[in-house]
Amino acid sequence: MKLYAKIAMISCAASLALVACSKNNPPETNPQPEAAPAAAAPAPAAAPAAPAVNEDSLAAERARLEAERLEAERARLEALINQIMSEDVYFDFDRSELTEKAKELLAQVGELLLKETRFTVTIEGHTDARGTEDYNFTLGAKRAMKVKEFLSAYGIEGKRMESVSYGKEAPKAQGETEEAYSQNRRANFRVNIQP
Amino acid sequence: MNFSNEDSKDMNYRNSLTGVLVFFFLLFAPIASFAAIDTIAVDVGISVFKTIPIGIVPFEEKGRIDWVEEQPHKILTRDANLSGRFDVVASPKFDLAKFSREHADHYMTGKVENAGAGMLRVQCFLYVSKSKTLRLGESYTVPQKDLRRAVHEFFDKATLTICGERGVASTKLAYVSKIDGVKQVVVSDYDGFHRSQVTRDTTISMMPVWKRGNKGLVYVNFKTHRPRLYEKNFGGAEHPLFPQFDQTYSPAVNPVTGELLFSSTVDGKTDLYLGNTETGKARKFAYLKSNQTSPAWSPRASEVLFTSDRGGSPQIFVMGRDGSDLRRVTFMGRYNERASWSPEGDRIVYTSMDNGKMNIYTCALDGSDIVQLTNNAGNNEHPTWSPDGQLIAFSSNRSGTYQIYIMRKDGANVTRITNSGENTAPTWSFFNEGINNKKEGNK
Repeated sequence: MKLYAKIAMISCAASLALVACSKNNPPETNPQPEAAPAAAAPAPAAAPAAPAVNEDSLAAERARLEAERLEAERARLEALINQIMSEDVYFDFDRSELTEKAKELLAQVGELLLKETRFTVTIEGHTDARGTEDYNFTLGAKRAMKVKEFLSAYGIEGKRMESVSYGKEAPKAQGETEEAYSQNRRANFRVNIQP
Repeated sequence: MNFSNEDSKDMNYRNSLTGVLVFFFLLFAPIASFAAIDTIAVDVGISVFKTIPIGIVPFEEKGRIDWVEEQPHKILTRDANLSGRFDVVASPKFDLAKFSREHADHYMTGKVENAGAGMLRVQCFLYVSKSKTLRLGESYTVPQKDLRRAVHEFFDKATLTICGERGVASTKLAYVSKIDGVKQVVVSDYDGFHRSQVTRDTTISMMPVWKRGNKGLVYVNFKTHRPRLYEKNFGGAEHPLFPQFDQTYSPAVNPVTGELLFSSTVDGKTDLYLGNTETGKARKFAYLKSNQTSPAWSPRASEVLFTSDRGGSPQIFVMGRDGSDLRRVTFMGRYNERASWSPEGDRIVYTSMDNGKMNIYTCALDGSDIVQLTNNAGNNEHPTWSPDGQLIAFSSNRSGTYQIYIMRKDGANVTRITNSGENTAPTWSFFNEGINNKKEGNK
């Protein structure tokens, strides 16, 4: 999981450049740019004294504001990604049907994905430690698929979702207790941002 | 109310039962030792096959030998014990009275001498006890570290001489070992010695199976963040297999053609595919509505065992290699998985889950005559037949960690062959075809 968090962070960082280029973000999601003109206002006031320096400081100021805006956008996306990645969906033993609780969680993820159209997800299916490696791959795959089908029905395009099974190979909790087992019978998300 | 009633009834019952048991114990205590002897006789009687007593005498040593490895008679003793075919009658020297008394019609011994330059010359002999007639004699000149393999080879030939079937002491196991927290594929001799690491990845490797002729292994690795099959010949490089398919695993090598049957999961649906590892081409093996995994070939590759979830839980099925004649094999219990066909062709071994614990069973191909081989000893998983069909290797966490064990095909004679770390998912190699040529190859 930590690794994927890192991957997501990297994807995030990589996407900053793209955010800078495209600049077509919906304004309501960017409170920072609204504040920008106000913050920039005092600068022109001091401008007449040294016009040459002024040009430079203006550019620097613009860059600073842009960086701030990107930072805010990055933080916002990271928060969303973290939210999606923390929305683990749990299953009953040897079952792949979605529980009511799972459907509620997935509806929230669906909402996010509908808003953030550049997000793509990898849905990972997992099982608990009981049973064979082979069958648990098929079981994890069924779980990931059920999640994908739900999100599809929610209106998320199939090409934005990829599913993979880790079987019992990537447990979240260690141990041979029902508590650990129930934590591991899950599907979780990995998020990427498409340009 | 009801509960306490039940409880007290139960308690009364237990108390009276204990009383009866104590009474009987006191009554029959003097003859308990006879009963114990009886038990041993019965135990041998119900085993699937009879063991043959064989005498083993320490090798005569010539010249000074600093023993770093086990001495040859100890290696022979372990081979004989592991084989499930023999009962060792150990004797410090040839003892006809003892061998006769214990029905050891044959005995094994030999000579070992220091051949200089770090080499040992070892001669191994198989004699008829009564007449001291030499049935088999072999000579090997090897460094001490290779003595074990030379003795294994002699043991396999001696088994062929006595039983008419080659032994498996020269065969190997591939399995998964956690090294620095990552599952890696390793190979060792069948007795756990001479372990060597095959994969060295930062991502999980698993599910190793042997290529035909024991040339290399096929296994699964996660380096693409998805399970994918790879092959690697010993001493060669690794190649991805069938990259045109998503999420490939559960490999099964056709023992006749070398083709690979495997599972691939596409859009959440798992099917079996049959592929040629040379050409990289593969096609869907069976068009079924259910998910299918864990394929296993029959000894002549005419039929295939596999697991299907079409009843909502895993059960074992069999069908012809052309997809015909599909039928269900297991009906007892809700979770029967990973079947493997005995080399003799008459039975299958598989894993069954009951109350959350995995245990190993065998049954006939029509699902009848179920025999439970493991019980009350942690989880017991991933059974694999020895190529002679006499033994089953498996992994178990009965000791607290997962280790590899070997047992006889009737569940008797369980012996642990790995001792440290976490070791799982053994698969037994094929017979070494070049067993006779190998001797000349020894450096």
